Amino acid sequence: MTKKIDSVTLDIVKDSLMAIGNEVFYSFARTSMSPIIYETLDYACGIADSEGRLLTQGNGACGFIGLISPMIQAVIDKFGKDNMKSGDVYLINDPYMGGGSHLSDIGMMMPVFYDGEIIAFLGNKAHWSDVGGMAAGSFTTDSTEVFQEGLRFSGVKLVDAGEICRPLLDMIKANVRFPDSAEGDMWGQIASLRTGSKRIIDLCAKYGHAVVRESMVRLLDQGEILSRKRLLEFPKGSWEAEEFMDDDGHGNPVLIKVKVTITDDEFIADYSGSSPQVVSPINTGYTSLCAGAKIAYMSIIDPELVVNDGVFRPLRIIAEPGSVLQCHAPAPTSCYFESMLYATDVLWRALAPVFPEHLGAGHMLSVCSVVLSGTHQDTGVPFLIVEPTGGGWGASCTKDGEVGQFCVGDGETYNVPVEMAETRYGIRVEEYSLHTDGAGAGTFRGGSGAVRIYRAMSDNQLFTASFGRNKYPAWGTDGGADGSYNYFEIIRANGTHEGPMGITARTVLNKNDIVRMVTCTGGGYGDPHKRDVNRVAWDVRNGYITPEQAKNDYGVDVDPITFEAVRR
Amino acid sequence: MRIATDIGGTFTDLVSIDEENGRIVAQKSHTTPPNFEQGVLDVIKKSELSPASMDTFIHGTTTIINALTERKGGKTGLITTKGFRDVLEIARCNRPDLFNLVFHKPEPFIPRYLRQEVAERISYKGEVIEPLNTDDIKSAVTYFKEQDVESIGICYINSYANDEHEQKTAALIKSLWPEVFITTSSTVTREWREYERTSTVALNSYVMPTASSYLNNLSNKLEGIGFKGKSYIMQSNGGTTTFEQAKNAPVNMVESGPVAGVYGAAILGQILGENNLIAFDVGGTTAKCSLIENGEVKVTTEYRIERTDNFAGYPIMAPVVDIVEIGNGGGSIAWIDEAGSLRVGPQSAGALPGPVAYGIGGTKPTTTDACLLTGRLSADNFDHPVDLDAVKMAVVKNVGEPLGLNADDAAMGIIRVAESNMYNALKLISIRRGYDPTEFTMVAFGGGGPMHCAALAKELNIRKIIVPDAASVFAAWGMLMTDLRHDYIRTRISPLAESPVDEINDIWQEMQEQAEKQFSNDGIPASQMICQYYVDMRYIGQEHTVKVSVPTVPLKEEDKEVIKQRFHEAHEQAYTFRLASAAVEIVNYHLVANGGLIRPELRKISPQTGDGEDAKISVRPVCFNEIGWLDTPVYNRYELGSGAKFSGPVVIEEKTSSTVVYPGQNVAVDEYGNLIVTEEGE
Repeated sequence: MTKKIDSVTLDIVKDSLMAIGNEVFYSFARTSMSPIIYETLDYACGIADSEGRLLTQGNGACGFIGLISPMIQAVIDKFGKDNMKSGDVYLINDPYMGGGSHLSDIGMMMPVFYDGEIIAFLGNKAHWSDVGGMAAGSFTTDSTEVFQEGLRFSGVKLVDAGEICRPLLDMIKANVRFPDSAEGDMWGQIASLRTGSKRIIDLCAKYGHAVVRESMVRLLDQGEILSRKRLLEFPKGSWEAEEFMDDDGHGNPVLIKVKVTITDDEFIADYSGSSPQVVSPINTGYTSLCAGAKIAYMSIIDPELVVNDGVFRPLRIIAEPGSVLQCHAPAPTSCYFESMLYATDVLWRALAPVFPEHLGAGHMLSVCSVVLSGTHQDTGVPFLIVEPTGGGWGASCTKDGEVGQFCVGDGETYNVPVEMAETRYGIRVEEYSLHTDGAGAGTFRGGSGAVRIYRAMSDNQLFTASFGRNKYPAWGTDGGADGSYNYFEIIRANGTHEGPMGITARTVLNKNDIVRMVTCTGGGYGDPHKRDVNRVAWDVRNGYITPEQAKNDYGVDVDPITFEAVRR
Repeated sequence: MRIATDIGGTFTDLVSIDEENGRIVAQKSHTTPPNFEQGVLDVIKKSELSPASMDTFIHGTTTIINALTERKGGKTGLITTKGFRDVLEIARCNRPDLFNLVFHKPEPFIPRYLRQEVAERISYKGEVIEPLNTDDIKSAVTYFKEQDVESIGICYINSYANDEHEQKTAALIKSLWPEVFITTSSTVTREWREYERTSTVALNSYVMPTASSYLNNLSNKLEGIGFKGKSYIMQSNGGTTTFEQAKNAPVNMVESGPVAGVYGAAILGQILGENNLIAFDVGGTTAKCSLIENGEVKVTTEYRIERTDNFAGYPIMAPVVDIVEIGNGGGSIAWIDEAGSLRVGPQSAGALPGPVAYGIGGTKPTTTDACLLTGRLSADNFDHPVDLDAVKMAVVKNVGEPLGLNADDAAMGIIRVAESNMYNALKLISIRRGYDPTEFTMVAFGGGGPMHCAALAKELNIRKIIVPDAASVFAAWGMLMTDLRHDYIRTRISPLAESPVDEINDIWQEMQEQAEKQFSNDGIPASQMICQYYVDMRYIGQEHTVKVSVPTVPLKEEDKEVIKQRFHEAHEQAYTFRLASAAVEIVNYHLVANGGLIRPELRKISPQTGDGEDAKISVRPVCFNEIGWLDTPVYNRYELGSGAKFSGPVVIEEKTSSTVVYPGQNVAVDEYGNLIVTEEGE
């Protein structure tokens, strides 16, 4: 007979589980050797129950949402729980398996034993600066097969009952460009799993494993109850949207489309009809597609909900195997986030008219990823930059779009400070400013993008970038104007221009060559002629728009000296 | 006589100590916005102390943080390097509110049209690569004059490495416009990261006019009542500074109140011979805790105002005592969330309408109400009659009925959830940073600290708790004991192994000279100054650093090994692992300079005579977690002498608070009137 456990105790244990989730998340960032982890927080940590169901997840980047539990499940399926020992750690980064994104994101998972039984699993996933392959930084825009993108682990044991598997570690270190940083990050990930495991064991010792198990069930059930409650309140129906991604790297358009259906008990995002997988690395595996859809789902269900598998129970995501959104091996995936983010964006676009208070106009969409490698001009030490670029967000029915923010797939992600970049990397930053092109006019205006200019300080630097949303602008909504485009251009030391363009792989930069990276302004919301006159005047005064744009787009005359404004 | 006044949201506290005889006076009066200095005069008057007899006046205030959060600073202009005026607006591109696609990014304190650019450039190594364009400065000044700006901030790229251009710019502006307030980034911080530094400058310039008029007013009024001593301001770093210096760097005052309690805990520990402490402060709306290791209060420069789980906030890169604060205090409201879970806080009933027990309109149950129903607090100890039925009704209706619990269980549920929140905050500063709470003594203060400390200490296996005398004005007491303190932090990155000790010592030398200059301005001779040296270090390739104390300065070659070992240990403690063969580097040099204050002696209380029966107020039922109701003797703290001892369960009551001691714990009154709670057998 089991004694009924009171709800207050269950809630207290539940809070403790979430606190553990937070702890393992932050402890990892602080030990990491990779700027992409410690500044960009391009990683996630999660706790799952003994069945591998996600209980809580700490995210730095939105794009990792829900990737932890499929990863844990894939390892369970492969090895079987009975064959796992206390202290084991497994490694997995296969894009086509559960939890896959691109090879650069190294996943690790660990079973947590209490009283000889598995009580929980811990998992984390982090973007390593380099995992080998054809290009420094491992992700590039011109790979045609996964084999060019680095080391692939389809679930292997890295630590056996607490003992590191030395040959595997040696192999990793021999095949990556920054072996010390890779080993540092590996130990950081392992340490974070071990800390989490110890905390869960402490929790079991304090409350008993039955209480801990029951509070896990409560956590999942509460997530489900809340999301179902929202679903009942939602308008019901089907909505569709489609967009072209820029292209497949060879000039061919790539279609992403969705039909979203909301019923009383289901939320279905059906991506059937999207283009087949392509030869360039913009394909995504199924779990990353799900992550993309889950971002939009969370935003309308309740952005503050604890991320767990209970919340996602009503969600169903459909894609066609072999499509760009559910690719097969050996399709390249190093820039998987491009198609994943388009999958988020079409869902967002389909639902924006239905949920205007949760979803505004289109944003800069792309990670606008930059990979730059070379040698520091003063120290001679090799450097590698792997970073996203901030851009403009769309306006919504209550406010203007935000300026210079990373795309939806990022999150609590930090840019690399100019002063740090100049110290570490062989570049000088010539400018970091807002891109005030005045696009995205509306009752509420789209937020400005950003301009970042790098000057190479040594020869033979290799520049790779993927700036999606280069051909089609950020979309406006409810009568708001479209925003603009992301692009970059290269200005050689001799004054010649290359670009603007949206994609390049390992372009050589020599000393005093300049690369100018520009991100778009977000889409506008509502009729620009209804924008408050004082706001238009303020926009002109601050240089977000010109007096001509005030006149032509908003129908407002603004005096360029006094900023007095009159609507015509 | 030393006197400290601390302006809080509701009350302005005063504590004074007479150095001759150790006599302490404590007084409270209402805070008087917007003329906060009036509250200070009121409380001095109420205390009946003679202003002429005060040699030292130490002041803590919320004026600065209020001016920031209420956006009531002056009109401010910013000057930046050409190409970088938008750094303040772009910020760090981060979005803590991950899944909210209509999130709010912090709006800059200085709008774009008031941010002007000047052509100039310093390299990351501190070399001038483009000279300063003075014409740009002149036109910025002309423009700012037209715009009626009151205060100007200056922040150039890489000025942490060389502030020559900032200093020249400030000097030029001063000559063109002597009345305007000026902040250069190098006067407030010498650490790298341009956004954080620019934000610090922006916030500092923004509050300079407020700080200046407030402090000028206050000193005039103090003079007016006959005060002739020296006056100091409490800073966020746990030390004090002069009014003059505070006017230059007002952002250093943002957390002046809260840190004083932590600092007080460290001092009390020193007096009582306890070096490893956890300071635990529960007020009306929040609980705060901070860890003190080897007598040292921990300081960080990663502070942000208005930061929440959903909002990025605004960085202030100034040394702030490392405090974890959660929205759980006496006034925190208990509620049931959508999923049916009991939650406490962060919303607070505040002073108005207050907990139901206050009888001034509050209808939502709070932690205070739950403490009353469970016997922790007595209705007789409130200033006014308490409607117990109303309190019970509120708990039953809002918590009991939805959860299917009776009044007792619902009230205990509120306390358990509140204590669980506090427990997680306490774990955050201890276990999660690699410290074992068993090795620490808790100092519990604020109105609610003494009420929750015993249960929390049990959970954390803390063996000893100190509930200081006058626990509810302990922050002001801490201020009374503070010393002048200045922090100097320089970012200068170099691998430890390859850094010549001479170069390291040159950096220390330069910082020390700066400190000496500051202290001589403050009227303290260099010989009296006490310096502590720290370096922020990391494994090469890492970003975040660990603070390590430096054994001696000037450094000798062999000290480098000691520093390296200390770093490995500190890293392992904080993060569970070390990389023994990895190279380490220094990122920041941190000099802490204190004024060498000789602290006043505390007065001892008279010894206890008899068995304490005289001090017994009553025996009342109190509900203890996991035990249930027990008849519990209640004593009046003011009538207990030193050496008085009781075994739990027992409640020691004082005005506005009570100390709850669990079965299995003992409590004793020490010679200074502090309550010492220990586990049985200790």
